[in-house]
Amino acid sequence: MDHGEIICNEPLDHGYNRIKFHVPDIAAEAQAGQFVHVRIAALRDRILRRPFSISNVEEDGSLTVIYKVVGDGTTVLSMLPAKTPCDLMGPLGKAYTMPEAGEIPIIVAGGYGSAATYLLAKRAPTKGILLLGARCKDDLILTEEFAATGFEVRCSTDDGSFGHKGLVTDLLDNVFEEFKGKKLRFYACGPTPMLMALGPILLDKGYADGELSLDHLMCCGVGACFACVVRIKADNEDGWRYARTCKEGPVFRADAVWYGDK
Amino acid sequence: MADLRVDLGKFSLKNPVMTASGTFGYGFEYKDYFDLNKLGAVVVKGIAMKPSHGNKTPRVAEVSSGMLNAIGLQGPGVDKFLHGAEYLPFLRTTGADVIVNIWGKTVEEYRDVAAAMDADSEGITALEINISCPNVKEGGVAFGTDPKLAHEVISEVRKATSLPLITKLSPNVTDITEFAKVAEDAGSDAVSLINTITGMAIDIKTRRPKIANITGGLSGPAIKPVALRMVWQTAKAVRIPVIGMGGIMTGEDAVEFLLAGASAIAVGTAIFADPYAPINVIEGINKYLDDNGYDSVKQIIGALEI
Repeated sequence: MDHGEIICNEPLDHGYNRIKFHVPDIAAEAQAGQFVHVRIAALRDRILRRPFSISNVEEDGSLTVIYKVVGDGTTVLSMLPAKTPCDLMGPLGKAYTMPEAGEIPIIVAGGYGSAATYLLAKRAPTKGILLLGARCKDDLILTEEFAATGFEVRCSTDDGSFGHKGLVTDLLDNVFEEFKGKKLRFYACGPTPMLMALGPILLDKGYADGELSLDHLMCCGVGACFACVVRIKADNEDGWRYARTCKEGPVFRADAVWYGDK
Repeated sequence: MADLRVDLGKFSLKNPVMTASGTFGYGFEYKDYFDLNKLGAVVVKGIAMKPSHGNKTPRVAEVSSGMLNAIGLQGPGVDKFLHGAEYLPFLRTTGADVIVNIWGKTVEEYRDVAAAMDADSEGITALEINISCPNVKEGGVAFGTDPKLAHEVISEVRKATSLPLITKLSPNVTDITEFAKVAEDAGSDAVSLINTITGMAIDIKTRRPKIANITGGLSGPAIKPVALRMVWQTAKAVRIPVIGMGGIMTGEDAVEFLLAGASAIAVGTAIFADPYAPINVIEGINKYLDDNGYDSVKQIIGALEI
């Protein structure tokens, strides 16, 4: 838990915003894939915190979050100026497992799932490939930042306005072909349908240790309320159980996730 | 520093502030935030005989000054609660007073959970019988909205344990004092109220309910005036102690409940906004007592002037 202040809060391209918090304690501990739980005090009649993936942390104690204005919380958040005091819980949740030296990381991201995987790309000892899918060209964000880490960026768009026209998972076949015999490690963050399509492909190709970041409407952020659950394989008569994405996730191994009917 | 100790009939607590069941997990989830032994009591999320999945998602929706939830009592079951490292065995190491919220789908299940707790009761201060969860089809509120069933389930639990019993009451009835009297008559040592108020929210873009269960329980500051009124009515209607809850965010809120006649209070939804809320409420009560020249919190319980 960290009380700090907003360093800057400005529109990024295409309707996304980038906010930087000065929260040295959280920034020092943060690992790729974790999140912060932000209280927006200006939102007086909305008492719950908002969870945001940690996009980046720097040695000056800053922590960056990329967000899109989608509701009351993010609307008010987007209006907060620099120097506004902030109240963050974190870093929370289970992080991505860093690739080992020699393992080539392949990140599969949908929409601003790229934001939640940026720190992973930055810290990965061996640089790999980002497969980024979005609805259209304008929704492909952070591509330059990823390129600057040394990752190669390959894009797909639903409308074909940039890169491959179709789904981001369509880009996988080339990767499997190209890196035949190499040691790959898959990481993913994006909309649930994308993850539910990706998981079985990874299992089929023998990448059970691929990691998917799942989430659901969150409330407490620490595993107490059981709001944010998703189905995970379990040794019981149903074959699954509800796991808390805030505590047991948000990152789960591809072979832990339940892909049965929901 | 005023004396914060309160008496709840068969047991007493070091201060009047508990966590409301379902909002504090099993305590373990908040162990890194503060010493759980600072709380009056840790009230754990509902325990049934068997593990339970709970409801489909989405399970929560935020609304003005509060939230709706229909978690549906997801839980580990008795065995895991009694023996799992993140449950009762952990709580025992904290020294905190622990109140175990129990529920079942049948009278027999309620009785069996109570008996299981009784047989392994080290570290358990009391049981809270949940006859008021609005979000499960069987059990829960079905027992809390029918006086005969309420009497039956409380009496059976009473026979199964010598642990102090608290009955948690539903506000989704015409007259909550009727159920408080039933609880008292059936052998409950205290009553706690209120559970959440059944509510609903709709996404007008998709024209669907915002939570999968369609309806959910409303909690948070939105329900505080209703809770306070029911606590006041109930405290006048029964001789057993009343534990008040519903939208308490601050020490001042808690003092209102104490003045209305609650012998202890619980903080719930406020914990989601601020994990330290229960600690802040304890300090806020103490400050009120000091500022107003009271030596003991007992002096303000039921001290409402009319």
